[in-house]
Amino acid sequence: MIGKLLGGAGMIALLCGTGVAHAASGTIEIGMIADLTGPAALSGQHKVDGAKLAVDEINAHGGIAGKKIKLIVEDDRGQNQAGVSAYQKLAANQNIVAIIGSIRSTIVQATLPYVARYKIPTMIGGTDPKLTHVGNQWVFRFRPNDTYASATMAQYAVKTMGSKNVAVLYDTDAFGAAGNGLLKAALVKNGAKVVSDQGYTTATRDYTSFLEKVKSSGADTLATYMTNSEDEAQMLKQLRQLGLKVKIIGSTSIATSVCIQLAGPAVDNTYGVSDFVADGNDAAKAFTKRYVAKYNSQPDVFGGWVYDAMNVLSQVIAKDGTAPAAIQKGIRAVKGYNGVEGTYNFDTNGDGLHGYWVVKIQHRKVIPIKYVG
Amino acid sequence: MIRSIAKFLPFIALLVLIPFLLPGGRLGSYYLTLLILSLSYAVAALGLTVLLGYSGQISLAQAAFFGIGAYTFSILAVNHHVGYWSAALAAVVVTTGFGLFLGAISLRLASHYLALVTIGFQIITELVLNNWNAVTDGADGISNIPRPSLFGYAITSDHGFYFVSVAVLVLASYVVFRLRHSRLGGALFALREDEIAASANGISLFRTKVLAFAVSAALAAMGGILYASGSLYISPNVFNFYQSVSFFAMALVGGQASIVGTTLGAGLITFLPEVLRFLHAYYIAVYGVLVVIVVLFMPEGLYGLLLRGVGAVATLISGRRRADEGEVVSLEAGAIPERPVASDRPLLEIRDLAKHFGGIKAVNGVSLTVNRGDVAVLIGPNGSGKTTVLNVLSGIYTATAGSIVYDGNAITNLGPTRINRLGISRTFQNIRLFPELTALENVAVGYYRRGTVGLAGALLSRPRGYREEREAMEKARETLRFLGFARLDVKAKNLPYGQQRIVEIARAIVSGPELLLLDEPAAGMNHEETEMLSQILYRIHALGVTMLLIEHDMSFVSSVATRAYVMDFGQKISEGSVKQVLSDPAVMKAYLGDDVEYA
Amino acid sequence: MFSEFIQLTIAGLAVGSIYALIALGFVLIYTSVNVVNFAQGDFAMIGAYFMVSLVVVLHLPWWLALLLAVAATGLVGALFQLLIFQPVRNRPRNFLPVMIATVGASVFLEQAFLLIYGPIPYQLPPIFKAESVAVLGVHVYPQYIVIIVVTAAMVALLNWFLERTKLGKQLQATAQDPDTARLMGIRVAWMAALTFAISTALGGLAGLLIAPVYTVTATMGSSIALKAFAAAIVGGFGSMKGAIVGGLGIGLIETYGATYISGSYRDAFPFIVLILFLIFRPYGLFGEKISQKV
Repeated sequence: MIGKLLGGAGMIALLCGTGVAHAASGTIEIGMIADLTGPAALSGQHKVDGAKLAVDEINAHGGIAGKKIKLIVEDDRGQNQAGVSAYQKLAANQNIVAIIGSIRSTIVQATLPYVARYKIPTMIGGTDPKLTHVGNQWVFRFRPNDTYASATMAQYAVKTMGSKNVAVLYDTDAFGAAGNGLLKAALVKNGAKVVSDQGYTTATRDYTSFLEKVKSSGADTLATYMTNSEDEAQMLKQLRQLGLKVKIIGSTSIATSVCIQLAGPAVDNTYGVSDFVADGNDAAKAFTKRYVAKYNSQPDVFGGWVYDAMNVLSQVIAKDGTAPAAIQKGIRAVKGYNGVEGTYNFDTNGDGLHGYWVVKIQHRKVIPIKYVG
Repeated sequence: MIRSIAKFLPFIALLVLIPFLLPGGRLGSYYLTLLILSLSYAVAALGLTVLLGYSGQISLAQAAFFGIGAYTFSILAVNHHVGYWSAALAAVVVTTGFGLFLGAISLRLASHYLALVTIGFQIITELVLNNWNAVTDGADGISNIPRPSLFGYAITSDHGFYFVSVAVLVLASYVVFRLRHSRLGGALFALREDEIAASANGISLFRTKVLAFAVSAALAAMGGILYASGSLYISPNVFNFYQSVSFFAMALVGGQASIVGTTLGAGLITFLPEVLRFLHAYYIAVYGVLVVIVVLFMPEGLYGLLLRGVGAVATLISGRRRADEGEVVSLEAGAIPERPVASDRPLLEIRDLAKHFGGIKAVNGVSLTVNRGDVAVLIGPNGSGKTTVLNVLSGIYTATAGSIVYDGNAITNLGPTRINRLGISRTFQNIRLFPELTALENVAVGYYRRGTVGLAGALLSRPRGYREEREAMEKARETLRFLGFARLDVKAKNLPYGQQRIVEIARAIVSGPELLLLDEPAAGMNHEETEMLSQILYRIHALGVTMLLIEHDMSFVSSVATRAYVMDFGQKISEGSVKQVLSDPAVMKAYLGDDVEYA
Repeated sequence: MFSEFIQLTIAGLAVGSIYALIALGFVLIYTSVNVVNFAQGDFAMIGAYFMVSLVVVLHLPWWLALLLAVAATGLVGALFQLLIFQPVRNRPRNFLPVMIATVGASVFLEQAFLLIYGPIPYQLPPIFKAESVAVLGVHVYPQYIVIIVVTAAMVALLNWFLERTKLGKQLQATAQDPDTARLMGIRVAWMAALTFAISTALGGLAGLLIAPVYTVTATMGSSIALKAFAAAIVGGFGSMKGAIVGGLGIGLIETYGATYISGSYRDAFPFIVLILFLIFRPYGLFGEKISQKV
């Protein structure tokens, strides 16, 4: 606990240090908005950790053409309006050449008009498909969107797990509600029957009501589209206590280190889809090793995608320079980049990844089964 | 009046000038976005100025109204392609409807209940906005929200929209200002200060509360439309409980009963997290502590503190004290006025009146008649039920049995508001002035029943609104002068006890009642004050006002009363002239041992 | 079908017990000093975090940790009273500033504990083994039974304290008439502090009881508190019996409603019930009609 306390204080001190926006000559400044406070502060911390790791590695190798990268982080407090302010604050700094945006689709939506106005290359992690489908040429997604997640889940559940009657449990926030729609359609398309679909409010702590309904619906499989790993873990523990005998497949939140840490054995023998798997490929293995060495905790998708974004960005800048239009063109031209999240091939919408891992969680470890592209 | 509007001009000028003072480029744009946001919050927070600051009702649902306004507007304008101004108008109307509902169910609720109902409304609203996908587009929110056009000129830039927002804020401030300076403003303050005294002065608690909620909701909707149009995108998680707390903080921190204070509060609470960005995670903790400190130690908010500071400096410079001195209380000397002779036409007839509290029969079958021109006095030992008679009579308690006829009409169990409006007004045993209002304002509230201007009149018909307010103030001044009282601008709570009594009597007579009920007017007064009080009652009597009073001071009673009734154990035991009843053996018996009273 | 109903009933009663404990805290403070403490739920969070420190970090036996955590929470509550209520105790109409100050304090406490303990939720081991016991198709989680039993015991203890001990009677006398109490030599300021201590200790107890089920986070108390407040009002504000019945009722309604009506609107049910009550029975189940003194 004391360690945690010191760790937290250290992180804050470090952020204060980087928060001073002076254009030191010989640096390239990159902005990032993150949930430093608010309900998702935990994922914000992982995000900062992932980005810092990439920055430190790049700088240790001499930076980009001799220039060091400087990361400037602003807090979005998990709110749309604070996200817009953070984004504008970063954009106002003329030295910032690119910005890493939010993983929350609603905050991305709120900032989109400003991205279009300022024409700054912006990397996002929000997975709502439409974010990159509104004709905004400055947005690049470093995660596969939800169409892939839901299709992969449905396909694997029906074809491999043999699911026939599926109950869906989803978070009623933007991520879960959109995913629920896509997932139900994909399940039906694959020939399964959706026998129950229930939405819960983020941070629900007692899932008895929902699980009893899953039980009485006669489902053989529970498919979850939950936003927060904490909620997923909580639900799984109660599911085991209620002795519910169903197969389980979940969206990314099931295969995170937080879920595994909190749920313990309750998460064993479940399936999930994930865009980040610690030993999914060589890049991920190397990243995980260095991440664990540096932070003494397991990395997950929150750190993974920004790590990739930072590396892709530095590669593009090294090649094409720091002019926004050059970076924009450069990212769009990235093909076959092997990142920790998979192989990036940017399409005309700005989507870099086009597939998901199917994983199984066993003995509290995420075991990759196959990559569905 | 003109002068008080003029004091807003520097602020408006400042708001108009700010964009020209900002740096250019993206940094300017960052500040401008925050300014537009502050303006939308300020408009909604002005709703709380009315609801919380003026009428004293707690609402932690302002973000819900803000959201209903923003959503109704955006749904119509984006999903149904309704024109900008029609969508905006519809949004204000719909939101006001919800305000009416919440106001209507809040009638019987004391503050803590009300706070919770509003929280419940807030939470339900957020859930509905989030889950009613078919209408609200669910958690995803609505994007591409339009900005208005004026005279065929589309306002799409932030600068243009900033000035639209300033215009809306000025309009909203004007609405609040007009409301404040109409008879409805007095009613709202009276509601905040003392509900019972308000209703005894002809103010309908129900209508006034509903009015406060409706105005507050309408302003929240206006703010919500600005928010939606300003940020171009809305999603349900914006309109959450914490935003409601934040609105509350804006009103309280700035100065809850002040238009300028609330506006400054909105700016402060919006910019504070940006200014404190260097604190990172500690910001929220600091914010929490600031709210606690301001609320506990600066009841008038930062703006109130600022004004006080400016006032203190001004006093220091000019070397003069402020105007709470001057002539205190003195009646002009003169002949004792001609008092009317009591007629034999009854004004008030009470028949077999009973009021029981559980098993306690406070009043048990009292009958009495007060004729026009009487100064009737009700005497009796403590606990004999005199005050209860007065409370039933003025509608504060409902009678258990019996009837009350006033001027030929049955008025049994009408509410205090209705009774006041029939021309019966009263004072209270333990003085119920509105403590935070000045003497003059207190008396002006008493004139409420004579006014006719409603909300529309207050906002739209300026001449009528002004005339009525001026008339009320003039009458109040006149009445206080008539009673020899000159400390018009001192807050009631700062007046000594005896003077509070005079002000309360002025409030009761300013509207020209036919029947005046006084509950122990001489209690706590010294000999000179009592002497002056009888002079005052002579003067009021000379105007033709019939009176029924409760009193213990027998020499005072002997000097003013034309008729006396004696009560004991909830029943009338004697009546007649003061002399007659005092020599009645039954009365002697009732008072036996109570030597203080019968000195 | 029937086993489902029983299952839901147990879960509803367990969460309802938590609401009841916190509602009791609301009622005690309200009847004694006429203000509402909106930070009441945060004391549940504080109690749970204290328990985490004592059990997970210091490895104390759970019964000792429980006593220490509850006592420490009560101490924080007394201090809280000193800072939030004492400065304005004599101001007329102090209800509003105190209420808002407690909201501000709640924001502060949640953020302070988030900074101290970090954002990762803590797990508190349950008092008995975690495995659930299946009885006739109903899976009973032992911690739920612990919650219900401890709550019942606590209510009995509180009742004994208020009705049978000298201190408890002094507390009640002060609540009814502080002026007379002062004349009788009761130290009224101490009684206010004691009331806050007891109320917040009850909150702390609720927090550490529910912690094994809910996990411990900085915001765990705030949503519980709002529903507990609704429970206190539905029961009849100012009535201890009302707080208990209201708490259990709200817990059950929420759980049944989420299953049989709509899970998405789960958090709305307590407040819909509340609004219906306020329209049709404004003084709650056991509350008495309050008439203002004229």
